[in-house]
Amino acid sequence: MNKLDSAATGEHNVNFRQIGKARTRTDSPGKVFGKTPYAGDYVMPDMLHARVLRAKVPSARMTRLDVSKARALPGVAAVLTFKDLKIGTVATDIPGQTGFKRRATDQQILVDELVRYQGEPIAIVAAETVEIAQHALSLIEVDLEPVPGVYNVFDAQKPDAPKVFGTDNLVASYKVRKGDVEVGFAAADVIVENTFTTQYIEHAFLEPEVGLGWEDEQGVINIRSSTQAVETFRYIADAMGLPHSKVRIRGALVGGGFGGKCDVTVELYIALLTKATGRPVRLGYSREDSFYGHGKRHPFIINHKTGFTRDGKITASKIDITSESGPYAFMSPYVLMYATEAGPGPYLVDHVHIDSRSIATNNMYTSAFRGFGATQACIAYEQQMDEAAKVLGIDRIELRRRNLLKTGDAIATGFKVQSAVWTEECMDRAMAALGEKPKDKGAIRYGHGLAAYQQGYGRMIWLHDTAEGWVGVEMDGTVLVRSGMTDIGAGQTSSLAQIAGELLGIDMMDITVYNSDSSTTPLAGTSSASRGLYMSGNAVRLAAEAVRDRLAARAAKHFGSTADDVDFANAQVFLKSDPRQTMPFKELVAVCASEGIHRAELAIFRAPFGDWIDPETGQGQVHPDYTYGAHAVQVAVDTETGEVTILKSIGAHDIGQAVNMAAVEGQIEGGVAQGHGYALSEELIYKDGYLVTPSLSEYLCPTSMDSPRIECIVLESRSGLGPFGAKGIGEPGHTPAAPAVANAVADAIGTRVFDFPLTPEKIANAVRKARKAG
Amino acid sequence: MYADFDLLIPEGLNQALGMIAKSKADTDIAPLGGGTNLVVEMRARGKAAATLLSVGQIADLRGIEIADGRVTMGAATTVSDILRHPRMPDVGSALFESAGVFAGQMVRNTATVAGNICCGSPAADLVPPLLALGASVTLQSQRGERTVPLDKYFTGYKTSVRKPDELLTAISWPVPAGKSASRFYKLGRRKGDAITMVGVSVFIEMAGGVCTTVRIALGAVGPCVMRAGKAEAVLLGKAPTAELIEKAASVAEGECAPIDDIRASGAYRKQQVQVLVRRLLNQTIESLS
Repeated sequence: MNKLDSAATGEHNVNFRQIGKARTRTDSPGKVFGKTPYAGDYVMPDMLHARVLRAKVPSARMTRLDVSKARALPGVAAVLTFKDLKIGTVATDIPGQTGFKRRATDQQILVDELVRYQGEPIAIVAAETVEIAQHALSLIEVDLEPVPGVYNVFDAQKPDAPKVFGTDNLVASYKVRKGDVEVGFAAADVIVENTFTTQYIEHAFLEPEVGLGWEDEQGVINIRSSTQAVETFRYIADAMGLPHSKVRIRGALVGGGFGGKCDVTVELYIALLTKATGRPVRLGYSREDSFYGHGKRHPFIINHKTGFTRDGKITASKIDITSESGPYAFMSPYVLMYATEAGPGPYLVDHVHIDSRSIATNNMYTSAFRGFGATQACIAYEQQMDEAAKVLGIDRIELRRRNLLKTGDAIATGFKVQSAVWTEECMDRAMAALGEKPKDKGAIRYGHGLAAYQQGYGRMIWLHDTAEGWVGVEMDGTVLVRSGMTDIGAGQTSSLAQIAGELLGIDMMDITVYNSDSSTTPLAGTSSASRGLYMSGNAVRLAAEAVRDRLAARAAKHFGSTADDVDFANAQVFLKSDPRQTMPFKELVAVCASEGIHRAELAIFRAPFGDWIDPETGQGQVHPDYTYGAHAVQVAVDTETGEVTILKSIGAHDIGQAVNMAAVEGQIEGGVAQGHGYALSEELIYKDGYLVTPSLSEYLCPTSMDSPRIECIVLESRSGLGPFGAKGIGEPGHTPAAPAVANAVADAIGTRVFDFPLTPEKIANAVRKARKAG
Repeated sequence: MYADFDLLIPEGLNQALGMIAKSKADTDIAPLGGGTNLVVEMRARGKAAATLLSVGQIADLRGIEIADGRVTMGAATTVSDILRHPRMPDVGSALFESAGVFAGQMVRNTATVAGNICCGSPAADLVPPLLALGASVTLQSQRGERTVPLDKYFTGYKTSVRKPDELLTAISWPVPAGKSASRFYKLGRRKGDAITMVGVSVFIEMAGGVCTTVRIALGAVGPCVMRAGKAEAVLLGKAPTAELIEKAASVAEGECAPIDDIRASGAYRKQQVQVLVRRLLNQTIESLS
């Protein structure tokens, strides 16, 4: 038996004192008692308020811009347009601790000539009150002359299409060539081909973008903002022509990000207005600003042509992927890479042929969103597996079982995954938890659906990702952690406390964590890409281990033992071989302090570094490692009205090792609720570039009435690259939820809606159409 | 951003009537109930009446009374008040059902009955059941008081017979007598806090095996909430057979004229009128047999 598979039987019986337990998070009391300030809660004396003027049309040439009346309005401190900018553009690439050269795909900060999407910023205003700033916007005179735009990816690829990006609207394209797909299709008994489409969706975090900036006595522009990435300070400094050391981003606890707060949002406008006025400036987006003000999830069109033998073995997989980028690149090339890599799913396929491209249009630009393209890939490959099972007459779970990647297998890019692949176990556990399907009643039909997945965690290895973390012990034995990591509500800082606490024998609730300050906490990269715990958890682990080693060496001297025999728990130091020999942790620390033994450590964790995959074959390593699992759903569908009720929703994931089990379940539950909305109700509709669903009364996230209790089945192979063998779970919990719902609905109604979201109208129409066809 | 407006907070009904007496147009003074629709509109459109007259807090206008064979609700009665009234499932079951699926808990706690009527939305969820129950509304001004049957109240999309100086002060309907039942169904894009795609309510009274009263009300399928009079006529005075119910449902489908919008197409809405009218008629009649 493979070593990694043996863990399933519980042979690795590791005893942790804090790790893996469901603990109240260190950030919880502050939130529950209302003591935690969010970025929007900060105010400063003499503070100005900012607003952003946005283009009302999606594609236009600006022929006149006159801000004189706005500038003359009493109470207005500054009105900035493109003419006031030293440098007109800002980077849209991945921010973070990544040692790669960024792509030359910058975005104009304020419109200088062409408007490329509805909502593109034209001017920014700072005034004594929000009302004056708003009034000033109405005094700005703008003439926008319509320019023909392009509003879907098909038109955008035509030779005569208006050019939104480059010379051909092609933002990125990739290929994967593994084996020979023609040989594979020749060996097939059955070929199944389908096209699946997904929609634009919105992050809809509870806390819209907000920040407060001021210039300090050293001439540093400080910005306190709601962000997933304090490293955007570099892009802001570059865009203002300032040294990197003169811009400082200080985060706060974040009210949700989901990828939508990875890019520069309000920070640059705040920085520019702070510099222009010499006064503190606050900019808080309204919900409407947020709808127009940040990049969305990419719509995808994915075609699968899959060959199968009669007994259900995949012989070939040919996949064609198109994503919509909107007018600027932002994360589109990377998101497309994820979708391409994940294309065939968690299945072993010898012959793979994938073509993918991201296309520019004048609809809203798209960027990071939880799952980062692997989610859209999963929506396609898992619906395709169910459709194939139907054609082949093989049980859907059995068909998957016959094709799943196993531990040690190579994925589509040829990379052999080093960690455990427990998809089958997850699949079986999720289906078992679903139980029996209820009997159909009148127009109500019940359906079961499952989706398995593969989701990379950590950055693509050619980004050379690193994270730093600092752990120190005060003279009284209390412990501090410093990490640049942002806490976006998933328990990031709490997990760092738990890791340091485990290693130093101090309860996590007694550990103080300072985080997300780009100048005073060691930089750790974004809280995105399911990399927070993996990267920063490891950095803090390394730092805590180094401190522990030095303390243990001194304790060994005290006990007359070896350092290996020294253990730390409950604020005590003791010998494993003779636990009666103890000394209080604080006494050991006092001894170390008096002897000048270093009680702190700054550590760096480096993810595996590598080169780009081969551009011609797509072969090579993309991610450091992958998380595997499955999600199962039971639905009731009213076949007349098309309404769907999700009755059961069960996520089963091998997360390697839980650090805080309660936080793991929180990540899965939140991701699943978001997946339910993705499948059933959420959709940003752009009509010729105009957003027609610009508020939360038109854009429909699931409410508590729509959400069933979500069950989490957490397996721990301890095989991941994160601390103690952890894998990432921030994105994986979300990835299979939407296709599982789609498969359950298709199971219930006996036909499929191929176009997300599955609205009551589409479902009712599909049922009618199928009935007519007999 | 919100539009600028003045806010008047009267202490009682008489003062409120005095304040609105000078209003010549809906854009002069708009009555404000719970604000759950009006304030959202003001934010979305950036437009408001010059003055808002807050009537939601007038205690005399809040409450449900059952007396002399009628149920009477004050204008400021909230949707949650409807749900809390112990007799509502008996005296207005369709309204009770509607209140239960009305928006979400927070909105139900502050949204008022009169506000839901006066906003004039064709998707207003309390209106179809009130129409099915045969409700009338009381309009008061300093000039006097009048009672208007609810099915004569709306004159078109967001227009009504209410004069700019009048306040809608009460809603009432006869306590259902004899063998009768009513139902409501809201078809939405999601289960909580949804704007209705199609809302249907039916009321049926039977005697001697035939339908003696039939009211079918349709929401969100025309410029205002409407009665499906022709469909009602199919069943009135008849024994409700499966064929007649099917026919009534088809006739109701033909009576409505829904538009396409971001929530649903007109074609789907028409289909669903047929589905839901049939379903609710069946359920109502089943509950009577």
